[in-house]
Amino acid sequence: MFCTKFKILLSAYLDQEITKEEEEKLLEHLKKCADCARELEYLKEIKKVLLLKERREPQEFFETKLFERIKDKSKELMWRAYLPVFKKSILVFLMFFLLVAGLLNYRNFFYQRRTEVTSDLLIDTQWEENFEEELLEIYYGSLG
Amino acid sequence: MEEDFELLGKFKKGDQHAFELLVRKYKITVFNTIYSIIGNTQEADDIAQEVFLKVYTKGSSFKGKSSFSTWLYRITVNKCIDELRKRNNKIISYETEFGEEEKLKLKDILASKERDITEELRQKELQDIIQKAMNSLPEKDRIILTLKEIEGLSYNEISQVMKISLAKVKIWLFRARQKLKEKLAFLYPQGE
Repeated sequence: MFCTKFKILLSAYLDQEITKEEEEKLLEHLKKCADCARELEYLKEIKKVLLLKERREPQEFFETKLFERIKDKSKELMWRAYLPVFKKSILVFLMFFLLVAGLLNYRNFFYQRRTEVTSDLLIDTQWEENFEEELLEIYYGSLG
Repeated sequence: MEEDFELLGKFKKGDQHAFELLVRKYKITVFNTIYSIIGNTQEADDIAQEVFLKVYTKGSSFKGKSSFSTWLYRITVNKCIDELRKRNNKIISYETEFGEEEKLKLKDILASKERDITEELRQKELQDIIQKAMNSLPEKDRIILTLKEIEGLSYNEISQVMKISLAKVKIWLFRARQKLKEKLAFLYPQGE
């Protein structure tokens, strides 16, 4: 007998996860179908086997190891959280440094240099005086 | 469930002790779920630690749409799936075929009406046999059988953990049981 639909219901029936209507139909079917009735017994055996599975405990110091890992993870997370802030701080510092360096040296870059006055162009007052005396001598003769 | 929300709420506000209480409450559940799926105690231990680490780091993002235990199961199952796929194991990773001696042992234990608690060795052997049967199943079947048979979740909870419809839960569970039945067919001498 092709009973796939009912066999799926058997699985749900075993888990008490079917509606009343489905249960009634299933029980009616089980009265007539030996194959499905046998299937139900197999499923009960499987359930029984799996219920025998004992619950185990994790290894000793599970919690201790876990909290150690959490401490390490927290440090890592803190570093990661501050890294962008740290990077931005470095960037701001560099910009500030360049600005200050630029301000301190701006005269060198933006103002023209004064022409250097060479000593050759400076008037030699003694020479000028001598020259004036010579000029006077030429025009007016010697005074003495 | 309310207790879990309360503890989680305290943890989100920075109460480490609340997190410790959650770990204490769920560590055995998480460990057994993983062990049932993965089949190795050492790996189960490591993965369980990963699960709680994730809870610790992502706890603040839990919005409470499902229960805390459902959320925890979901993380656990996902970690198991990641581990199984890392191993490239979709079906078998450990010895899974039963020897004749093992078959006899299992039949013997099941037939026994009195459970002799001093026979620790027999019990251990039984556990190994059952785990071997589970290990022989594909990933999906192991997970759904673990959630239903070992952890006792309802279909609704399984549906939320595995993010599948209720109809799929019913069908997948049915198929998983069929496959397990094939593995344990020696228990039923007349067969199907």
